[in-house]
Amino acid sequence: MPTSIPLPKLGNSVESSIVAAWLKQPGDAVKEGDVICTVETDKTTMEVVAPMAGVLLQHVAAVGDDVPVHGVLALLQGADEIATAYAPAPDATPAQSISAAPSAASPRARRLAEERGVTLAGVRGTGPGGRIIERDVPEASAPALPAAPADETRLTPVARAMVASGEYVAPNTGSGPGGAVTKADLKPATPTSEPIIETSSSTPLSGIRRVIAQRMRDSLQNTAQLTMHAFADARAVQSLRTRFKNSDPALGLHDITIGDLLLFATTRSLLQHRTLNATFDGKAVHTRTNVDLAFAVDTEKGLLVPVIANADALSLKALSNAAHILTERVRSGRIDAASLSGGSFTITNLGASGVESFTPILNMPQVAILGIGCVHLKPIEEDGAVKFVPHVGLSLTIDHQVVDGGPAARFLKTLAANVRDVDLLVFTL
Amino acid sequence: MPKQLPIHPEEARARGVLHSPDIPLNAYEPDAAAEAARYGRDGLLRMYRDMLILREFETMLDRIKKDGAWEGIAYNHRGPAHLSIGQEATAVGQAYWLTPDDLIFGSHRSHGEILAKSLSAIHKLGVDELGRIMSSYFDGRILRAVEEFSDASDKNLAIDFALYGTLAEIFAKGNGFNRGLGGSMHAFFPPFGIMPNNAIVGGSADIAMGAALFKRVQRRPGIVIANIGDASLGCGPVWEAMHFAAMDQFHTLWEREVGGHPPILFNFMNNFYGMGGQPKGETMGVDVLARAGLGVNPQAMHAERIDGLNPLAVADAIARKRRTLEDGAGPVLLDVVTYRFSGHSPSDASSYRDADEMKRWQAHDGVANFRAYLMNNGHADADALDATADAVRGRLRAVLQATISDERSPRLSGRAGAQAIADVMFSRRQREATPTRTPETRLPREQTRLAQLAEKHRFGFDADGKAHPKLKTLTYTEALTEALFHAFYEDPTLIAFGEENRDWGGAFGVYRGLTEALPYHRLFNSPISEAAIVGAGVGYALAGGRAVVELMYADFIGRAGDEIFNQMAKWQSMSGGVLPLPLVLRVSVGSKYGAQHSQDWTSICAHIPGLQVFFPATPYDAKGMLSLALRGTDPVVFFESQRMYPESEKVVPGGVPVEYYEVPLGQPAVRRTGDDVTIVTIGATLHVALEAARRLHERGVSAEVIDVRFLNPLNLEPIAASVRRTGRCVVASDACERGSFAHTLASNLTQLCFDDLDGPIAVLGARNWITPPTEIEDMFFPQPEWFLDVLHERLLPLPGYTPTTEQSVETIIERYRAGV
Repeated sequence: MPTSIPLPKLGNSVESSIVAAWLKQPGDAVKEGDVICTVETDKTTMEVVAPMAGVLLQHVAAVGDDVPVHGVLALLQGADEIATAYAPAPDATPAQSISAAPSAASPRARRLAEERGVTLAGVRGTGPGGRIIERDVPEASAPALPAAPADETRLTPVARAMVASGEYVAPNTGSGPGGAVTKADLKPATPTSEPIIETSSSTPLSGIRRVIAQRMRDSLQNTAQLTMHAFADARAVQSLRTRFKNSDPALGLHDITIGDLLLFATTRSLLQHRTLNATFDGKAVHTRTNVDLAFAVDTEKGLLVPVIANADALSLKALSNAAHILTERVRSGRIDAASLSGGSFTITNLGASGVESFTPILNMPQVAILGIGCVHLKPIEEDGAVKFVPHVGLSLTIDHQVVDGGPAARFLKTLAANVRDVDLLVFTL
Repeated sequence: MPKQLPIHPEEARARGVLHSPDIPLNAYEPDAAAEAARYGRDGLLRMYRDMLILREFETMLDRIKKDGAWEGIAYNHRGPAHLSIGQEATAVGQAYWLTPDDLIFGSHRSHGEILAKSLSAIHKLGVDELGRIMSSYFDGRILRAVEEFSDASDKNLAIDFALYGTLAEIFAKGNGFNRGLGGSMHAFFPPFGIMPNNAIVGGSADIAMGAALFKRVQRRPGIVIANIGDASLGCGPVWEAMHFAAMDQFHTLWEREVGGHPPILFNFMNNFYGMGGQPKGETMGVDVLARAGLGVNPQAMHAERIDGLNPLAVADAIARKRRTLEDGAGPVLLDVVTYRFSGHSPSDASSYRDADEMKRWQAHDGVANFRAYLMNNGHADADALDATADAVRGRLRAVLQATISDERSPRLSGRAGAQAIADVMFSRRQREATPTRTPETRLPREQTRLAQLAEKHRFGFDADGKAHPKLKTLTYTEALTEALFHAFYEDPTLIAFGEENRDWGGAFGVYRGLTEALPYHRLFNSPISEAAIVGAGVGYALAGGRAVVELMYADFIGRAGDEIFNQMAKWQSMSGGVLPLPLVLRVSVGSKYGAQHSQDWTSICAHIPGLQVFFPATPYDAKGMLSLALRGTDPVVFFESQRMYPESEKVVPGGVPVEYYEVPLGQPAVRRTGDDVTIVTIGATLHVALEAARRLHERGVSAEVIDVRFLNPLNLEPIAASVRRTGRCVVASDACERGSFAHTLASNLTQLCFDDLDGPIAVLGARNWITPPTEIEDMFFPQPEWFLDVLHERLLPLPGYTPTTEQSVETIIERYRAGV
């Protein structure tokens, strides 16, 4: 009996992964622990290893396939069996157990998803063998598609999808079986004699991009976002940063950045405004005691948000250290899935790009996210004279469903004060 | 069983010796002077002409099969040709005295009989009557084709018509007597009294007997002849037919005015070979075939061996036996000795017989000897007889050329041809509104059991939902009884027979009350002869009547397999739509009686083209569907449920109407509406499914339950519409799962509903086992929890549900690998 190599559970929130590359081909001999393939989760790239020695028989999933957790990636013939039975030909196609087949969506679920304009990617099927069935199809997330002809069942699935795109119109009867309208029967919605010139290229979404897309859309659809902007006096931040930079490397303070100081100030400010250090699941608000601070990192594959657990308990130096290690791991794709989930509050920093202020999108289920802008000069009246003082932009988005403007503004006020006095704040621990 | 026929122990145990009558062998004494007086010169010369026509016709086919041409006319005949060269005297002698009212049923080797009977009928019918027959048959299409090539008129035109219609049928041409759908072994022409010829050895015995039953019961003139071969004596259904025809009740119990036994002649064409096997001396032990009569009744069936090489001996025998048959003293058995010079078929090299034997029989050739007889007795000289032979060949050349011409004689082809075949699969007519005779009954309708049944509660529950007492509520059995009463009082041709039908009232009481209401000849007990029961029903219906026959348990279908699958199913279409077949075969699906008495064989019947298959699951449908079956003209296998017999109507609101009504043909019934899953049931499984639907309802799943009622024909549209809406479907039946009609339904519904399906359509059948004894049969038949389990495992996992039976898809592979 061939042994199936399933996709391991790579983290609590991981439901499926995309096969990134096969390192072993059918017919290859493998040792226990050999990397067979790499898979991409929504957050990272992982390696899948052989559970025992033997010969790889078959790739069940292809590169680019979205495989559910515990779904079969490949079939392996154990070394013991080969010794006693037979050496399979490299192109042998062993029978595949039915339950091991990758989960599929029922025709009805696929059609419903098409009608609702939703994707089934990442949807966990609750049908037999993980099949995605009607009840698993997410609710519609987009305005209704252009109305199909009245007798919609007369369209073949392909024709239906083409009509739904709005670019084609269907005649009343077609050339398919029983008068079904097929692809060949469709006419362009706006007839044109102009040749079509390719002016764009299309790229299928990677797993990470797909998840980001869905999460961003879900966030905007399912929360009531309100963003408010404030500015904090950045003189202390800048001066501390200069001193750290010039400090004795032996102190280990050399790499503490302005961003780290702002992370630090935020963790301390949240302790006084716990309503923002919370998550909301649609029914209840879960206020968190500790600050598990998520911070957005811009990577080649897209936006990733690692989490520094218990950030409010870390010293500035420890916090900075953790942030640097996580950033490096995220950028190199070596982060574990657990470090990418469970945050209670998120910071996203566009200061380095010269953006003064912006409207961050909530990282659901968190109820607040802070955007950091660049340091820029603001005219301030001080002692009867106007001076140009460096300030840093603070953009706070809250979920107005559960957080009101008042508490949010008060948090920003505290945060601005803590940033201004960050040189004192570092002594509070 | 009838009380008026006591069985006396003294008689049964008395010492003595059984004496049997002598059986004459070739007793005919030729007497040229008497023969000349009896037949006249014209009659004798006509006999010779007819024998020549048969000889030349078969020789022509023999040459065409072997050389690809005859008389310079080339043709490649792909179909069969079982020729009767050598047997002409038997056919012509037999047909001589027969009238168009007399019916012959034949075998695979009946070309000669068809032609001889045609020629005899043409001689006896007036020119006007012949013209009416030819111009009305297929609206005169065959006649028009004949008139194009034939310059003959009157009777000679009719002879060309018979030759052309027969040959066109043999060559599968659309102008054949059966539109080219019967072919060589199944050609026939009812207006001349030529009924279906059967390619199943002995197949005509019970069918012809049923036609004779029709003649007797309906007091129609004429006798019926089953032309079967000597080797068919080895076939059970032949013996069943002979015993059926010999039943004592025809003279002990039936009303005298009906006239006694059916006028059936079992005419064994004894050419000494059954294909290549030799009954005498090799494959049977009866020695002289006529001896078989001794095994049937005290009269030994008036059996005789007849010299079939002398047409005058045969004609004499038929004339004598006709009187016996018309007196109601049949049946009659004739062992007609003959010899075929041709092989069984053109592929036969006659390796099983000696050349010397064949040479010796040549000296006994009926055609050559009759020619000599005519010349020796001064009836004709050689020139005149040669001229007759030339005329015959000339006529056949014209017929052959017209028949092989694709312009004059096209075959059914293309879309129109396909439609034409589909159109003749069923006759789809209805009983005449104004019957010609008054139905014979013993009681006025008002005084029958119908009156008591009308008083019963027609629905199982009162207005408050309380169940009515069982004995005071109409049951499924009684609903069937009502339908039968109605039909018996409307249709004078309707008769019913089967095992224990009369005094017992049917094994399950369906005929209770009809015994008192009907004379014997409309409701009677048959021998335990399932083949003859169905075969006689087929013959009765083909001859023009309507029969409802019963096999008690569906399991007994096997005993009547040929009669149901090859005869009942096929004669409407093999006749090219000429003959309707209004026959209802009642069978019940048993329960409690184990492996040979509890099988649901609806799937087997639904598989055979040409049968309509009904299976009512409620008393309302039992009455409405039987009424429908008894009014149509198509053969219906009518399945009943023994589980349902004692049950009142609990599903159809309003219960069973007292009045006559019919259920629309092929229309399934929605028994419960729902949105989440469609359960389609076949037969009494409906009630298990309804219980499952109630349990699903408790779990928040709303099931729609559809009872197909009809397996064939069946309107799939309403079922498909439901499945498209719910997206999930389970098809359930008590038939064993493998190869079942439930799978046929599931596969077609998948084709119709694929894009709307939320999972594969599941089939729930009985296990692929024997039916175990009743105490443990819940392991075998689908139970309510099986529905929940299969839904949970294959379509829609139910939250918090734990299946109790093994229904996952993985078990399919396991079970199929094990063959169970």
